[in-house]
Amino acid sequence: MTGKNLLLQTLKTKGVKYIFGYTGGAIMPIFDEMDKIGDFHFIMSRHEQGAAFMAQGMSRASLSTTTPQTGVCLTTSGPGAMNLTTGIADAYMDSIPMVAITGQVATGVIATDAFQESDVVGVMMPICKQTYMPLAADEIEMMVHEAFYVATTGRGGPVVIDIPKDVQNQNVPEAYSFDAKAFCPYLPGFFYHPTPEREPLQRAIELINRSVRPMMFCGHGVINSNAGSLLQRFAEKVNIPIAFTLHGLSAMPADHNLSLGMMGMHGTVEANKAIMEADLLISFGMRFDDRVTGKLNEYAKNADVIHIEIDPSEIEKNVGTSVAINADVYRTLQVLLDDPMLTYKPRRRWFERIEGFRQLMAEDLREEIEKGVGDDNGLLMKSIVHHLSQLTEGKDLIVPDVGQHQMMAARFYNYQTPNSWFASGGAGTMGASLPMAIGVKLARPTEQVWSISGDGGFQMNIQELGTIMEQKIDIKIIILNNGYLGMVRQWQTLFFDGRYAGTPMQSPDFGLIAEAYGVPYRKVETLEDVIPALQQAIDHKGAIVLEFICDPSEVILPMIPAEGGFGDMIIARPSQNDPSTTNTKGEKS
Amino acid sequence: MKRRAILAFMLDRPGVLNKVSMLIRKKMYNVDTLTVCSSRIDGISRMTITLKEDDEAKVLQIIKQLERFTEVISAKELDTDHSYWREVAIIKLEVDTDYLKQFKGRFNFEILDQKSEDTYILQVAGATRQIDTFLDEVGREFIIEIARTGVTALEK
Repeated sequence: MTGKNLLLQTLKTKGVKYIFGYTGGAIMPIFDEMDKIGDFHFIMSRHEQGAAFMAQGMSRASLSTTTPQTGVCLTTSGPGAMNLTTGIADAYMDSIPMVAITGQVATGVIATDAFQESDVVGVMMPICKQTYMPLAADEIEMMVHEAFYVATTGRGGPVVIDIPKDVQNQNVPEAYSFDAKAFCPYLPGFFYHPTPEREPLQRAIELINRSVRPMMFCGHGVINSNAGSLLQRFAEKVNIPIAFTLHGLSAMPADHNLSLGMMGMHGTVEANKAIMEADLLISFGMRFDDRVTGKLNEYAKNADVIHIEIDPSEIEKNVGTSVAINADVYRTLQVLLDDPMLTYKPRRRWFERIEGFRQLMAEDLREEIEKGVGDDNGLLMKSIVHHLSQLTEGKDLIVPDVGQHQMMAARFYNYQTPNSWFASGGAGTMGASLPMAIGVKLARPTEQVWSISGDGGFQMNIQELGTIMEQKIDIKIIILNNGYLGMVRQWQTLFFDGRYAGTPMQSPDFGLIAEAYGVPYRKVETLEDVIPALQQAIDHKGAIVLEFICDPSEVILPMIPAEGGFGDMIIARPSQNDPSTTNTKGEKS
Repeated sequence: MKRRAILAFMLDRPGVLNKVSMLIRKKMYNVDTLTVCSSRIDGISRMTITLKEDDEAKVLQIIKQLERFTEVISAKELDTDHSYWREVAIIKLEVDTDYLKQFKGRFNFEILDQKSEDTYILQVAGATRQIDTFLDEVGREFIIEIARTGVTALEK
């Protein structure tokens, strides 16, 4: 029995069906063995970063299915491994379990600057949950088991296993045996508390019962523990409105009457205003990121905070708590739902107040969506997303890229399917969408997957069209092309006097590119064509690229300026006469 | 700035020291002293880190993030009232025997070696401040070379 064989057999027992990756010198033995075993679907990405995001897509999308699979990517040493780093750092920020396996040069030449050698363990250490390097074949099985355990236990995260080439080929000693069933990793310091303790829970219940203007926050932890429906029942039980973090979206139907939509920098005005006035925040599985809180010393000054979070290091990190519950969100909600002490309150005044906030921007947004075109007669992203949402009844899986269009997709798609939103949040990696959508589609093949990118992000992993072509992946690709890096442009409009440094961007003919990859393409320039084009994509079997020519002057509002507080929220569009929004004519590429 | 000592127990695995020091760097501290030794239990190391920080909450953050590492078993802050902080210095210096004698009794030092008539190698153990005082009183200008272990600490 060789190291490479043990590795792959162990992956099989861990339920791994798909392996994403790219071969190369130091990983050849494992690829060879994989081919011999033949039980895996190997998906070759066109760049290793793509493989990392595909693996992420697999982990994220499959967690709510009956067959969750931890995403696995497999690459060679040196540049192959280094190309994974962005995808791994991204998974670490977003708490996505994932196992990255990299080849390494043979043990005899490690640290001699051998060909395609890089210090993978050293590089990966600060951007993943754990790193492993087996130095003998008989260590591999144990390490892989431990790696999966660490990746998926408690707060999820990526792990890296760096396997020297000679260890891959090495035979284990004859006396080798490993009892996977009895195996329990020796990690005395690695424990997590899935069950909430009684005492803080009791104090939380008291605070909830006493509160007049409470709010609930739904974070990524709700999605990761499949607790969306429990959260909804709990919210209905106590009649408390819910705001979502970027990653909490799709945990429950977006149009639920208790939902206030997304909060934070580009959150809805009702969610953000309500937070300012709330007297209690009950946050489930989130980490109070700076994009959520804005200026910390102004954040929810009058509110008590109940923080339910699996990772103790997140508690009290950014926001002080009144009650900290270090536990799994699902289990906590289970206990809360059965608690007879919790009371339902109508909270009429509070909901009236929130309704008032809701109206602040409702008219503006409705008008914009109906108008559908911007100052420069380009299409409005929010309107396109709105139509997509209506045509698909909010049931499809959305994989946005990073930037302005991402916020549009977060705000204007009416999420109905649990766990149907997959975004690069913490790291904000442009180019994540296309490869991640591939992983999502493979994990949920019967559902429709939309990859929505800007012209910038799409070109960051455009090569994965090759994977889509080769594997016949049926994803609907939307490019919202406004000729700029939209989000940065918005900041430039608002905070840099309209100086568009480094944001105008010339794009290739996406039609020719799609054609080169054998993917149908349609360009949409007029409002009338938006719905027919989307309908064509829905009806078409297989991948399709839709390019929408969007208006560069569109902004996503409200917006809380970076380092600003909720009081600095920008609600109104910059004036039409402001040169910064009107001088864009003729600048478009 | 207040000097803080963090005591952590961790698995004796390669790379753990790297992780700990990277965390401290990430949190933008300069390690004051760092000592590692084996603990009472086989396979578990004991690390004492000192750094300068006034804000209690920030120290707590470091501790929580240390505990997040899979290899770290426990971490806590030790304060000077409830723990002993000690270090050892080995000093090579050029002084006369008579001169050295006057410090005997007041300081806990031991002569390890006499290289020549007036060149000694001493070992001084004690709290950081005691060692500093010893160096000041002996006169830093007489010192040829000095090696200090950094702080190790134990709870009372």
